[in-house]
Amino acid sequence: MRRRFGVMTERLGLRIGRVALGGFGWIVLTYLALPLVVIIGVSVTTTAYLRFPPVGFTLKWYAQFLSDPSYLDAISTSAVLAVNATALALLLGVPTALVLARAHFRGEKGLAALFLSPLILPPIVMGAAILQYAGALGFARTYGAMLVGHTVIVIPYVVRTTLASLVGFETSLEEAARDLGDSGPGAFFRITLPIIKPGIIAGALFAVIISWINVELSMFNTTAHLMTIPVKLFNYIQYSVDPMIAAVSAATIYVAIVVVAILDVTVGIDRVAASNE
Amino acid sequence: MVALLLPSLAFLLAFFIAPFVMVAFASLQDKTGAWSLANYARASSDLFYWRTLLLTFRISLWTTLVAFAIGYPLAYYITLVVKNRAIRRLFYIIVVTPLFTSSVVRSFGWMVLLGRRGLVNDALVASGLVDRPLPLMFSEAAVVIGLSYIMTPFMVLTVSSVLQNIDRSLAEAAEDLGASRLVTFLTVTFPLSLPGVIAGSLIVFTLSVSAYVTPSIMSGGKQVVMSMLIFQQYGSVFDFNFGATLAVALLVTTLILVAGYLLAIERRPRAGREVA
Repeated sequence: MRRRFGVMTERLGLRIGRVALGGFGWIVLTYLALPLVVIIGVSVTTTAYLRFPPVGFTLKWYAQFLSDPSYLDAISTSAVLAVNATALALLLGVPTALVLARAHFRGEKGLAALFLSPLILPPIVMGAAILQYAGALGFARTYGAMLVGHTVIVIPYVVRTTLASLVGFETSLEEAARDLGDSGPGAFFRITLPIIKPGIIAGALFAVIISWINVELSMFNTTAHLMTIPVKLFNYIQYSVDPMIAAVSAATIYVAIVVVAILDVTVGIDRVAASNE
Repeated sequence: MVALLLPSLAFLLAFFIAPFVMVAFASLQDKTGAWSLANYARASSDLFYWRTLLLTFRISLWTTLVAFAIGYPLAYYITLVVKNRAIRRLFYIIVVTPLFTSSVVRSFGWMVLLGRRGLVNDALVASGLVDRPLPLMFSEAAVVIGLSYIMTPFMVLTVSSVLQNIDRSLAEAAEDLGASRLVTFLTVTFPLSLPGVIAGSLIVFTLSVSAYVTPSIMSGGKQVVMSMLIFQQYGSVFDFNFGATLAVALLVTTLILVAGYLLAIERRPRAGREVA
């Protein structure tokens, strides 16, 4: 009897535990989404001050920032910077990952660590370093200074995801192609590239977004005429907040949602998330 | 084949290593360019910098603890409890979307939530728990709230990537042998997930130590952390040498703490023994 009671309480305990965990999971999800939902909400309020839940519905704040050239300039600077830094990082990072996955030589591990190290070094120190270095070489506060800095911080994402896609990849496939007379580059484009494509896509998307949202590195090198959108937002929000700036912020959230959707459709978000250590 | 590494190595050497070496050298020079330890003497003799460093580490430690307390159960739920792939993808989408949004926007969201007329104060007043809105923003707690929100996705992703690869037959074996779910979790699953917890807490801690945007917005400049002092030197005081010193000091003290943490873990008796 007592034993049976014990089993029952344990079953009950199990069920309660599971329900509690599930409830907690959904609460955390709400918590993760809430600040973003709040920004989108206040961006459509008809009041001149921030109000959540919003009062009424209007798109006038979006119209207001879209008719302000300084915001459009900042958005285009950020977009061009993100695309260029990503292109450069792909050019440098993909061959690096291929070599690191295939070739075996002394110092291989140290080299892999070097390519991933921009991930752990504080971006604020990186920003200061780039400003100081570019200053000494005469290109401080220029587009070039930002481009090299952004490229350095996004390279690890490309290297990491490409490396992950090469793990467990049978080099014998490529060797077989070669044995059958396919030349080196041919084998690469026909065999290797399709296999590492998901890794490259995921790495490129990560790189674009990391550059697009960066503040800490950019703020050292921005000027009144060379401004990225997150730095512009940051400078504004520190002094005042209104529904118009919420509309600009909400627009950047839509970009994030679109990129996450692309990531999910092309590679599968659960796969990317799981390989992302 | 190794020659393929040359362009990327040259790039990192020119725009990553060289700038860092330059900062390290600059920290050891005075304004005239002469070698000197004066910057370090100035930083270490002023109690203000020690207090700032302490506040920075205290905020980062709280942030790491909160991110773990919130992130671990969510990671466990997503990877080991949710069986439906569509729901799991939905969870991951909600975890990753904030990560893809600038910390400016995310902190702004908290500003709206925690402000005097924000959702949290409205709810508190409406429920009768408080008579008038609480000053929730611009405090150390506000910085921890903002930072832990920013960091939770990192913890979730790092822990779930480890949880996912744990051999489930081990937990099943423990249960077959009569261990309850809780005991199984404490003696099998949790110890096996420790590498993820360690990696996640290191990522969260180091990112928090150097965070600039969130502490600035959430504290309204009222709580000064190291990154703010560094930017101040570079952005408005224009004392690059002293700025470099503060940057090196932050980097080195963080590395020492991280090394100490890893050493402490190595020395620890194997997890789970004390429970079993």
